[in-house]
Amino acid sequence: MASALEQFVNNVRTLSKQGNFRELSEIITKSTDVLIKNGQHLDNVLETLNLQEHSLGILAVLCVKFSLPNPNGANNVDAYKPLFNQVQEFIIGCNGEQVRFASDIYAELCHLFTQTLVELQIPLRGIELLCRAIRKIQLFDSQLTSIHADLCQLCLLSKCFKPALEFLDIDITGISQEEGQFDSKYFLLYYYYGGMIYTALKNYDRALYFFEVCVTTPALAVSYIMLEAYKKYILVSLILHGKVLNLPRYTSQVVNRYMKPLGQQYQELATAYQMNSCEEVQNIITKYQQLFTRDHNMGLVKQVLSYLYKKNIQRLTKTFLTLSLSDVASRVQLSGPADAEKYILNMIEDGEIFATINQKDGMVVFHDDPEKYNSPQMLAKLEKEMAACMELDKRVLEMEEEVVLTPQYVRKACGQNDQDDQTPGPAPTNVTNVQGQSKHSTYSM
Amino acid sequence: MVLSEVDKFLHELEKAELEAPGGVASPQTYAQLLAVYLYQNDLCNAKYLWKRIPADLKSGNAELGQIWMVGQRMWQRDWPAVHVALNAEWSEDVSDIMVALKDNVRERAIILISKAYSSLGLTVFASMTGLTLEEARRVAVERGWTVDGTMVQPCKIHKEESNLANEVCLTEDQLYKLTQFVSFLEN
Repeated sequence: MASALEQFVNNVRTLSKQGNFRELSEIITKSTDVLIKNGQHLDNVLETLNLQEHSLGILAVLCVKFSLPNPNGANNVDAYKPLFNQVQEFIIGCNGEQVRFASDIYAELCHLFTQTLVELQIPLRGIELLCRAIRKIQLFDSQLTSIHADLCQLCLLSKCFKPALEFLDIDITGISQEEGQFDSKYFLLYYYYGGMIYTALKNYDRALYFFEVCVTTPALAVSYIMLEAYKKYILVSLILHGKVLNLPRYTSQVVNRYMKPLGQQYQELATAYQMNSCEEVQNIITKYQQLFTRDHNMGLVKQVLSYLYKKNIQRLTKTFLTLSLSDVASRVQLSGPADAEKYILNMIEDGEIFATINQKDGMVVFHDDPEKYNSPQMLAKLEKEMAACMELDKRVLEMEEEVVLTPQYVRKACGQNDQDDQTPGPAPTNVTNVQGQSKHSTYSM
Repeated sequence: MVLSEVDKFLHELEKAELEAPGGVASPQTYAQLLAVYLYQNDLCNAKYLWKRIPADLKSGNAELGQIWMVGQRMWQRDWPAVHVALNAEWSEDVSDIMVALKDNVRERAIILISKAYSSLGLTVFASMTGLTLEEARRVAVERGWTVDGTMVQPCKIHKEESNLANEVCLTEDQLYKLTQFVSFLEN
């Protein structure tokens, strides 16, 4: 069998030398069996290969090493240390150009690495390396790879979120193909984990967006990831807007058909919330306590309740100009004036209401929002938002153009007229023009 | 302490934690990191940092617990208790940051009071800012607030948020931007 292994090494060496990486990546995909059978010789193979010149070969070997039973015996951290070091050396030193020919195996290596770290319960150690791994394989900053999900998972498990924010804060505009191996699971996981990270850091706005992307991903069947994201979507939406925002129209049918019944308890919570009664919400929470705890959503559910108090105070500002603290307490069902004062003070600090407390006579005066929208800051903000919108519009147009130019689209667009005509003649161009114009007119509205 | 320096320091500490051999950084690093998060009022990250510090380090290093006590009180927004927790002896590693934090918290409390109260008791004012009654009275008078017996009547502080160097924009620039907006909206 050693000859097959030698064959592998020779292939790696000659093809790397010729620069024929396309063919090499095909060969290494097929040689997994050979490598597994020769498990004990793999370290020797690594020694004959050069990190820069034969990156693809090393990649294949490392990937296989993760699936072999660890020679050092038990599943402990020290046993994996040499392998982790090899992976680290590889990711830092490998040739980016080369590994892009096998980005699926590269991603696989990162998945295996992550999985092992998770099993060994040392997620913190992989964060730095995965950040580097993503930067190395990305073609541009806003490209999503399946490794993103791994990074978010490690960050969540180790409760260290800052490194993931660097990636999460960039809006994704492209997805790495990874040789057609990009599993939708990683896409959903990225948005689900990302939403959880933002929720943990109380950036609810962005969290809601991430859960929304996860839930509205086109689907024909319900994924558990989507279902969990939907539950959290409801909770975050309640915290942020005081009601469950309707999902956009392009949401897949399955979401409405299957997910709403599955998340029924959460719907009940939302209905109780709509009645603005803290008692009702508390009842629902007690009723489904077990389920919420099992879903690991209990913390969020409790926050929903405390936001309801705040929302009720906010509603008071719409009706009253002045109110005594004890009145506030009784209307919002807080325990006493001191509690009410504390809530109001905190809300003032967060800019959630505008009011002044007068301790002398125990009164609160509610004000209007002092923002007059005439400051330079507001103008700067407006300019920023406008720039973002313009950028988005540009992207949409670019993507549309790309779609319109694909042969499949052209064939489909003029398919009804002449089915036999395979060569796109003048007719299709007309069609695209018409299409383009009608699109444009909708935009200008 | 200059703000940009804090950011740089923070970045170094975060890196030190991630690259720590064996995945566990020194208690000193954790203590400083925790203090800097508090200084920046970044309570979420402080909380999760506290959660991820290994338990044996927490029990072996009393100061970590003390720093987090401050953080916990800040999280609960129990102003008087924050000042009580801050009034501890800090080791050399963190004393600079903790002193800066103290001033920072007091300043925040004063701004909040000016925003939120039209009148409040002097004792409340003193405990929220962690000052003695006499000091509190002096601070209030210094800021031009009226102290009437045991009641303080704060004035609103008009914060000059704008950082003019960035805001001032050339007319030509403005015109250019305006042109862009209009051409975008028209098409």
